Amino acid sequence: MSDGLQALADLTSASEEMDYGKTGLHQRHTASLENVLKVGKTFLDEGYILEMLTCQDLREKEEVMRLCYTFNSLDAVDRHLVHVDIAGGLASEQFEAPTMSNLTGGANWQEREVFEMYGVTFTGHNELERLLLPEDADFFPLRKDFGRIEDADE
Amino acid sequence: MGKIDKDPKRFLPLVNRSATPVVDPAGADASADPAVVRLALLDDLLNMGRANSLWPLTFGLACCAMEMMAAGASKYDLDRFGAGVFRPSARQADVMILAGTISRKMAPVIRQLWDQMPGPKWAIAMGGCTIDGGPFKYPNQYAIVEGADKIVPVDIYIPGCPPRPEALIAGILQLKEKVKAGRKFNP
Amino acid sequence: MSSDSQASEGEVYSLNMGPQHPSMHGVLRLLLDLRGEEVIRAKPVIGYSHRAHEKMAENRNTLQFLPNTSRVDYLSGMIYNLGYCQAIEKLLGIDVPERAIYIRVIVNELNRIASHLLWFGTFLLDLGGITPFLYSFDDREEILDILDQVTGSRLTYCYGRFGGVTWDVDETFLTRATAFLARIRERLHMYKQLVTDNVILRERCTGVGVVSEALAKSYGVTGPSLRASGVAYDVRKAEPYGGYDRFDFEVPVLHEGDTMARFHIRIREIEESCKIIEQAIEAIPEGEILPKKMPKRFKLPEGEYYFAVESARGHFGMYIVGDGSDIPVKLKLRTPSFSNLSAMPETLAGTMLADTIAIVGSIDVVMPEIDR
Repeated sequence: MSDGLQALADLTSASEEMDYGKTGLHQRHTASLENVLKVGKTFLDEGYILEMLTCQDLREKEEVMRLCYTFNSLDAVDRHLVHVDIAGGLASEQFEAPTMSNLTGGANWQEREVFEMYGVTFTGHNELERLLLPEDADFFPLRKDFGRIEDADE
Repeated sequence: MGKIDKDPKRFLPLVNRSATPVVDPAGADASADPAVVRLALLDDLLNMGRANSLWPLTFGLACCAMEMMAAGASKYDLDRFGAGVFRPSARQADVMILAGTISRKMAPVIRQLWDQMPGPKWAIAMGGCTIDGGPFKYPNQYAIVEGADKIVPVDIYIPGCPPRPEALIAGILQLKEKVKAGRKFNP
Repeated sequence: MSSDSQASEGEVYSLNMGPQHPSMHGVLRLLLDLRGEEVIRAKPVIGYSHRAHEKMAENRNTLQFLPNTSRVDYLSGMIYNLGYCQAIEKLLGIDVPERAIYIRVIVNELNRIASHLLWFGTFLLDLGGITPFLYSFDDREEILDILDQVTGSRLTYCYGRFGGVTWDVDETFLTRATAFLARIRERLHMYKQLVTDNVILRERCTGVGVVSEALAKSYGVTGPSLRASGVAYDVRKAEPYGGYDRFDFEVPVLHEGDTMARFHIRIREIEESCKIIEQAIEAIPEGEILPKKMPKRFKLPEGEYYFAVESARGHFGMYIVGDGSDIPVKLKLRTPSFSNLSAMPETLAGTMLADTIAIVGSIDVVMPEIDR
């Protein structure tokens, strides 16, 4: 880990080294919702890029919606996975997280995709609208309770 | 060696006989009584002209569009059959080759393009996705329209994922037969 | 430049390009705000070929998803297909036989050349040159024939198997591939004379649509578009996978960041791919193409995994979450064109309308890969 990333120790919890040869990830961190922008800024200031942003629907098992950010360095591969948990069970509809699109342009569309696939609202995002689905779509397809295969008629 | 099937039509794409009948250029209704003036010879002549200069719409949706381009390019050369004049505007085209998966977001656009095309016009459903959803058909599929015939009346279906350019050419040749025969081909 | 400043001269009007437009590469739709011929705001509208790949991945087992991969990006289908295989192999710890590694490298690079050739033809077609399109498709058909012979398909390959490849290659394949290398090198010389040295192309592309290094990094632009902006990042070098560390090749880098630089990078990448194929053909060993012992079901171990390959358009990443069953809990496809296109609104602002076609063409987007 480069020196500039030392600040992460205060911002994240449950950081652990991963086996890169097996998982393709170097480190995994967990950040709170308040700290996610600071964590992002720490990485971006060090020249890392936001490689991927996605979400996992864990509402059934752990009662959270988990945002997964990966940051990577283009100079020497160093991939960090950052988990950000948003509390909420199956019944809750409202999931909010702060937007990273003001820090890095790449977050713009990726946050829109997470918004439309999982229904996570990014506060402060200036054009949070449907990206891939028709404008009138009112469902969140990648949530686990949407369109389960065993619910199908066929 | 096994018995060789001599019927060359075995490999040709299926022709949909239930699609809408080809519009009569003179505007005569097929079911009505014989018209006072029948320009049968002129109709045949017109149909022959149409069949030999099918102008497809430049319109790719997904993977099949690459094979459509390949069919139009140097090796397969769709121009040999008079169908190589891909038109960028729907208003100049008379064949819509639906090449690729039709998403629900795209479906209204396709319908609009179809409505913009002047008659007589024909549609070719190229590839599994436009026949019934193909590899993307699965329970609870929320993103695609399962079959082009839900949007536009399809004349020729070409199976494959994607069909080879030869298959597209065979489909166009079949369509030519259909056009030449006028409404007789489509009872 | 910004859309807020309603300038005194000229009225701002909106223009809709696509989703059916001859130079929008499939079903991209661009909403442009124009003042005269100047683009003051560009907004890509995507999703016209969204096919729910990621939802399908969560509802079927790892093997059943294999045919989907080559349909995500049909122009480098082989790279995606084998990339997915390599990811699963890494998760399960399956060793790939030597011969299969070399076969994979050869077909991967042939696929990359085919993809670049198609881009070459269509990009120039967009700019108004029809002749290069016919030449490049001629070359591309040669590659497709070679791959057709061994894989059985022309475009959407399903050649990979977990642990190796489906069919072994024979002498004919290797001879034809070698012959193709000689042919394409000759053709590249011709392309240089016909296209690259053409003053019209240079005037049209030089200094147009500059993507700065900072902008590219901010949006996560990868692949030839990033390398044209001065960053020597190639997954094949940064995180060598599938035996790429055994081959001697260069990562071409240019610093201009304009459309012409992106053009040059791709042409030079074809040459580098030729070098890799040449070395692989020379060193390909005899032997098995699949491991002797294979698990019956490919159960993903619990945990999170990220695996990346370099497709013809850039960094293709797969983020896989397993829970011990053979159906992934989550499979995120991080596709390069998605990030590359997301940088377009900022790149296009301030350019001329006619240059829009050149710029969007030069980043080489494949729509189903963006929409997934």
